[in-house]
Amino acid sequence: MAPRDTGEDKPDTPLAVEKGFATLPEIRVGVKAFVEKDGEKRKAEILSLQTRRGQPRFYVHYEEFNKRLDEWIPAERLDLSREVEWPVPEKADKKKAHGVQATKAPLKDKNPKRSLKQRLEREISGTPEFASANAQRLQQPSTAGGKENRETVTVTTEVVNGTPKPDDEEMDVDDVAAAAAKAKAAPPENYSVEEEREKLRVGGSMTQNQAEISRVRNLDKVQMGKFEIEPWYFSPYPQEFQDVDMMFICDFCLSYFGDVKQFERHRSKCTLLHPPGNEIYRDDYLSFFEIDGRRQRTWCRNLCLLSKLFLDHKTLYYDVDPFLFYCMCTRDASGCHLVGYFSKEKESADGYNVACILTLPQYQRKGFGKLLIAFSYELSKREGKLGSPEKPLSDLGLLGYRAYWQEVIVDMLMEEGRTEANIEELGSIAAMTTNDVLHTLQNLNMVKISVNHPTGSGLGNSLLSSNAREQKNQHVIVLTDAVIAQREKQKEKDKKVGKHVIDPDKLIWKPPVFTASSRTWNW
Amino acid sequence: MTTRQAGQRFRQRKLSTRQNLQIVRENEIEASNLDDESQRNIPLVKTGVEEGEESEHHLQAVISAAQAGAKASQLYIPTPETNVSLGVQYERLYPHRFQQPATYIRFSSTVEDCIGCPYCMTEADEEFLKKLNSKQRKGPQCTEDEFEQVMNFFEQTSASKQPFASVDNTPLLSFEELAAAFDEDEIEASAQQFAKDIYPYWKTCRTTARHHPLMPTLKFERNVDTDDSDPYVCFRRREVRQVRKTRGRDAQIAEKLRKLRRELEDARNLMHHVKNREFARREQLSLEKKIFEQRASVKEAKRHLGIKGDDEDLINQKPIPRARPPKLDPAIIQRGAMGPGMVPKAPLTIRADGRPPDSDLVQLVDERNRKNADIQNIIQDSMAKHRNWNNDWVDDTWRPITPPMDNESRRGNSFRAAFTESLPTPPPSFSEGEDTNMIDGARTPIPEEEKSALKLPIRYADSAMDAGHGAQGAFRRRTGRSGRMWIDRRGLKRKSPSARDERERERCHYDIESDEEADVYYTDPYDDWNIKYRIAIQASPNRGTHEQQVHAQQRMLEEQQRKLQQVSAMAGANNARAAIPVVTC
Ligand SMILES: [Zn+2]
Repeated sequence: MAPRDTGEDKPDTPLAVEKGFATLPEIRVGVKAFVEKDGEKRKAEILSLQTRRGQPRFYVHYEEFNKRLDEWIPAERLDLSREVEWPVPEKADKKKAHGVQATKAPLKDKNPKRSLKQRLEREISGTPEFASANAQRLQQPSTAGGKENRETVTVTTEVVNGTPKPDDEEMDVDDVAAAAAKAKAAPPENYSVEEEREKLRVGGSMTQNQAEISRVRNLDKVQMGKFEIEPWYFSPYPQEFQDVDMMFICDFCLSYFGDVKQFERHRSKCTLLHPPGNEIYRDDYLSFFEIDGRRQRTWCRNLCLLSKLFLDHKTLYYDVDPFLFYCMCTRDASGCHLVGYFSKEKESADGYNVACILTLPQYQRKGFGKLLIAFSYELSKREGKLGSPEKPLSDLGLLGYRAYWQEVIVDMLMEEGRTEANIEELGSIAAMTTNDVLHTLQNLNMVKISVNHPTGSGLGNSLLSSNAREQKNQHVIVLTDAVIAQREKQKEKDKKVGKHVIDPDKLIWKPPVFTASSRTWNW
Repeated sequence: MTTRQAGQRFRQRKLSTRQNLQIVRENEIEASNLDDESQRNIPLVKTGVEEGEESEHHLQAVISAAQAGAKASQLYIPTPETNVSLGVQYERLYPHRFQQPATYIRFSSTVEDCIGCPYCMTEADEEFLKKLNSKQRKGPQCTEDEFEQVMNFFEQTSASKQPFASVDNTPLLSFEELAAAFDEDEIEASAQQFAKDIYPYWKTCRTTARHHPLMPTLKFERNVDTDDSDPYVCFRRREVRQVRKTRGRDAQIAEKLRKLRRELEDARNLMHHVKNREFARREQLSLEKKIFEQRASVKEAKRHLGIKGDDEDLINQKPIPRARPPKLDPAIIQRGAMGPGMVPKAPLTIRADGRPPDSDLVQLVDERNRKNADIQNIIQDSMAKHRNWNNDWVDDTWRPITPPMDNESRRGNSFRAAFTESLPTPPPSFSEGEDTNMIDGARTPIPEEEKSALKLPIRYADSAMDAGHGAQGAFRRRTGRSGRMWIDRRGLKRKSPSARDERERERCHYDIESDEEADVYYTDPYDDWNIKYRIAIQASPNRGTHEQQVHAQQRMLEEQQRKLQQVSAMAGANNARAAIPVVTC
């Protein structure tokens, strides 16, 4: 496979974009116009339009902004004094799905050889983002534990060409759904629908390519517990809720209601006071519950619907049976309130220890995310496995994981008396994959090569004592000033606010074992 | 992030993940000693974020801020708002009723178990209910719970009876149809009385909702083409995970299947045998019944005709041991299966069919006891008689007094019969009719019945004793002049004690109870030296010696007796084997 040439492949830069001035009635789905956002003008694509009380409103996606910032805007915020970009001509519209991409990239969608190879590589590589064009890799056995125990790592960028999606426009839908369907045909995507489904069908993936799902949010507001939350993404709650102003979610059973009376009636009957499973961890601050997707189908479905509101890549395409859900709760006099959770495959072929992970928005930026991540690694340690989160990560997911990884690794490197470290050892102590350790070190600019120090002017004596010539051009791990400063600052902050950590002694848990038959027949 | 092109200045090692790397602090080394470009040789690990999103403005801002250093770490990715809701009566909705147990919570009830009646009334329902209750001012008032029960019942019943109502627009169920399905489990009697009043309201609601359920439900797959592209269809069933196929696995599976087949076949055969056995048993029972009836009629006939005797035919006779199979299949013994032929032999008190044992059944224990008693009696008897007979005599050529052989021969020729008259041995044997003129012969009278059974005039040494003494010598007795008796012998070669069969020695080994008597000296009473010795002592009768001789005699007797028991026990073992099935029944 050839390395991806991002410049040419990018569908956003067609050779000729038709530009021109537009009037309000001319604005339609697919048009890109400048929109006022927080005092500045940003280019945004119109994904849907509606007329409410005689006033048109537009659902826009800002370029280079995450979809969670997509929003409905009134006509006033459209800047029609500047030229707009017209959508791809009707010609493409005709064969919507095929046209758009066929012109952009020369796709050999039905090339069986390639797709087979892709599949093989996906099966073989422990972590999919690490596939290689090296044919030798094909002979390497899959390391089910997700351990990438390779002495050296070579890399090429993986390109998985998209194959055209089937024409799925025959639905009878209103304009929002039509826009959603259209969004599905939107270009940027790396996986074909078929491939994606295949992966979902046979694997236990919990994430899905964004283009698969409607891009227009279907809920305006959600009330849960004492919070009012603006959803970030589409979630397939029943279509009836599309029109309600506020959806009510029970804090304990996560049932959903569009009518306040209904919700109050439910609350008067609902007896659940905590997630319906076994408590496996408890400290002064938190409790963790383990829920089996197969045994608690309704609750887990409710949880997935809820979390889909905040996770773009999550898929609800398939059922919850093959997953376990680890739910983090805070306690008060009314019960154990869900703060966040992560799901985990009962048996992950790729060695993932987390499928989806979410801190509910009302509890975000309070350090819960790090505790969730820490807990997931605590489970992996108990299992004796190295773990890594399922990809793709969201932006917030990446930042959360990076922060955790950095803290863990820097702490290990700064341990009293530690003068050397090897990457695999660091990984096995923290139950992290070698790849993730490497990623972190690299991201922090900590792996360097020491050169030109035959006199040993800089490096410590211990290094000198061994063969100095050998040490030339040797990789070293550098604790940079920035990294140390950041760690110190974090420690100070923790001291001030009071840091919560997961205490492994309070985890009462054995890795659950599922019989072969339950694995074979029940998902 | 873009992949940096590697600009190599010199050949570089690859980064090894297993090798120990030196940890250095930035402030401890000179920057010139570090090659920054080295990082370009390390493969750039992907972030795991989708490429399209990786370039997003806010993410990049945070990443570059983080890389710039600690100071800018206050940046974060903006998200839509969340607020504490003002209108919610949180305390009322979520009352304080949680009490944390001391131990970790274990819980397995489902949501359905915990939410009570699944139908929850809406504001519109509430209005309707108020109207309904104001109309029925005198009658009983319908509570919200009852209303929900009725609505839930309507919903559930129509969902189960008309699952496709929303698709094919079948007319709604009439109240009569619904009422016919009333069930105390689902709808209480108190609620049932309002059902008729609520029905029209439910019908209107259902019609307005275009036959969809009133409580919004998730869209599951319905196996139609639009399913795949419908973003609202969720939680599809997963297909069975493909198991990777290998030849070894195939072979393994094939072997398992074969084994399974074999085992099933075995089970089938076993059942077949059991069936046959039961048939046989049935036949046996019917035969037994027939026998019983015919005996009864025989008895009747005898009584009528006044015939006496020959009653043996009227009871079950003891079986002939030889008739039974020499060896039993241990499997059958274990399973307690019992051939029909074995039943009468059962020496235990409880028979397989639960009937009390026939009184004429011979039991091993009894048999053994009887035999032992016989032996004991005979020995005692013989000893008493011997003593009596030998009164005032000194036995200088002591001989063992052995019990008669009749027991053995009666039991069915299991032992070699005594033979020939050509080898008369010295006393204590006696010839029938011959008088007791022998000096030291022990006259052991034989019981009356044995006389008829056993015509042998001479008692020889115990055959058990002789077993293993291969070479038989020849003897002749003749009467010389003036009535002197002579014994001629020829070819008498005795093995020396040391040469005796080791096996035989072994056999006697445990025969002696006392340790002190562990050493048995085999002496040959016919040895010239012994005979001479005995004759020599005869000249000087000595009380002490005599007593010693009596002791020795007794000991010899006991030993022989034990041997006999051994033999009979061996014979009994045959009986015991036959008995086992009955034991395990
Ligand atoms: Zn609830």
